[in-house]
Amino acid sequence: MTPAIETRRLSKRFRRVTALSEATITVPQGRISALIGPNGAGKTTLLRLLAGLARPTGGDVAVLGSPPRQDPAFLADLGFLAQEIPLYRRFTSEDHIRIGGHLNSRWDEALVRRRLQGLGIPLNQRVGTLSGGQRAQVALALTLAKRPRLLLLDEPVASLDPLARRQFLAHLAEAVADSDLTVVLSSHLVADLERTCDHLILLAASQVQLCGDIDTLLAEHQVLIGPRKDTTAIERDHTLVQAVRTARQTTLLIRRSGPVIDPAFQTADVGLEELVLGYMGQNAGPAPAQLTTIGEDQ
Amino acid sequence: MTWLVWRQYRNQAYVAAAALAAFAVLLLVTGRQMASQYRTALTLCAASHSCGNLANTLTLGNPVVSLLITLTVVVPCLLGVFWGGPLVAREFETGTSQFAWMQSVTRRRWLIIKVGWILLAAGAWGGAVSALVTWWSSPVNALQHQNFQPAQFDIQGIVPVGYAMFAVALGIATGTLLRRTLPAMAITIGVFTFLRLVISEDLRSRYMTALTITSSFLHRGHHSAMPTGSYWLVSQGLVGPGGKLLSAGSQPSSGIHVDGVPIASLPRACQALAFQGPRSFFPCLAAHGYRGSFITYQPASRYWAFQGIETGIFVLLAVALIAVTAAVVLRRDA
Repeated sequence: MTPAIETRRLSKRFRRVTALSEATITVPQGRISALIGPNGAGKTTLLRLLAGLARPTGGDVAVLGSPPRQDPAFLADLGFLAQEIPLYRRFTSEDHIRIGGHLNSRWDEALVRRRLQGLGIPLNQRVGTLSGGQRAQVALALTLAKRPRLLLLDEPVASLDPLARRQFLAHLAEAVADSDLTVVLSSHLVADLERTCDHLILLAASQVQLCGDIDTLLAEHQVLIGPRKDTTAIERDHTLVQAVRTARQTTLLIRRSGPVIDPAFQTADVGLEELVLGYMGQNAGPAPAQLTTIGEDQ
Repeated sequence: MTWLVWRQYRNQAYVAAAALAAFAVLLLVTGRQMASQYRTALTLCAASHSCGNLANTLTLGNPVVSLLITLTVVVPCLLGVFWGGPLVAREFETGTSQFAWMQSVTRRRWLIIKVGWILLAAGAWGGAVSALVTWWSSPVNALQHQNFQPAQFDIQGIVPVGYAMFAVALGIATGTLLRRTLPAMAITIGVFTFLRLVISEDLRSRYMTALTITSSFLHRGHHSAMPTGSYWLVSQGLVGPGGKLLSAGSQPSSGIHVDGVPIASLPRACQALAFQGPRSFFPCLAAHGYRGSFITYQPASRYWAFQGIETGIFVLLAVALIAVTAAVVLRRDA
């Protein structure tokens, strides 16, 4: 089956700034992928490139089997929700529902109405006067009503309070469960996405640090805790992600290439947050040569 | 798409329709009064065989309404600023382009329908205002023969349609390039005004070669050979020694002029005679080698040709601006 998203060395440069550098990722269909990275890592740029709202300056991108293009059938398969929740602020939700009906061949009007009524959001109130959370819900409902095959959500929960955040993600998971939809949603907070997602794209400093199934990635990584000693042998056999050395103790985060057989070290499993922070911390450190772009199949 | 355009512009449409309706009522009422005033005056002067002088004795219309008529010259610019300026710029500014362009409608179709409707509406509104003004002005045109003069030419006939479409296209294009509504509006006003002035002051008189009439000082009826009807006087002056045409050109200088030529540039001996009337002044000029006076003008018969040429120029400019807009919208990032 063609992956929902496949990019190869995808890059986007603005005049002097490189927003995304040689990103190679694959997202299989039917996954909910967490696009995680610190602010300014290139998450928005990647999503806009996938949506066809921005053009790449290098590399290739295939979305649902073809490069993003200006074609009604392709656009119908995509749902994109930008970070700033762009809706016509002076229009009501009802207006937006009508616009969606006029502008889409496939349009599930009943779905929007059902969702918004369920959330108690008045349909004939200007969206500019709704709360940030309500507006995000309206925008998500409108995006879902297109019945897209790929949903790209840029920081959809950033403007929401914790309760609304949970509600939003629950609704999203529910919507995905009903279909074979693929979702990529970005956040700079791991905790937001841990429960909902089964796939991870980790971006830092415009580069892809990790991309793959979350369970597989967690199984591949391990934390080693041991005395302060030379770790050259471990670094040779495995890929060192992060090392924290104190006077007495060494803590290593490694990507395993096989079993670890150094009896001096205790092993521990890695949590998603720990993994993400490990890669982000590594990136902040002085060893950029260690950074590798790792696709799922590699 | 059409529904979206209507939803986005319906408030402006209501305002414009209300303004047009009020303007129409005012013009219909005062226009009918003025027409009957003119007919009555014609009947009276025909009875007393004094119609030749009617243009100097009859004042038609109410000065306030006349002023309002003159002010319709800004209608195309207003349409450009308020309809054209925000058309693309507002979508970029508020980010709604990311909403609109992610529906199942290509950017090309989005642009064609939006721009198409607005251009059509601008042309229709410009045309409706112009049609009312032209109808209202018909007695004045018949009396004063001024409708080929820039101030009237610009607000009557078909040119306002071209101006309106151009202004809207200009607003759309600057908004697309700048991605900001307010600067786009300001630049639209500036560029539109500048271009209109350049074309009406400088270029328009050259659409066709102006006709020249010269009259000799030796034949007494110096002004007898003037053209008739609503002609447009482009320039005038004196035919100097050796047949050279002397005219003040388009920049009037200060001081006293004789047929558009500053008196200071005439032979000193004749200058004093200028105030004693033509009987001694013209023979003096003739004695110094001056042959007569001339005018260049565009005859009344060319009025509609000029209207057509000018409308064509502005429609072509509008098309070029829309092409620029399309190139930017289709190629640039949202």
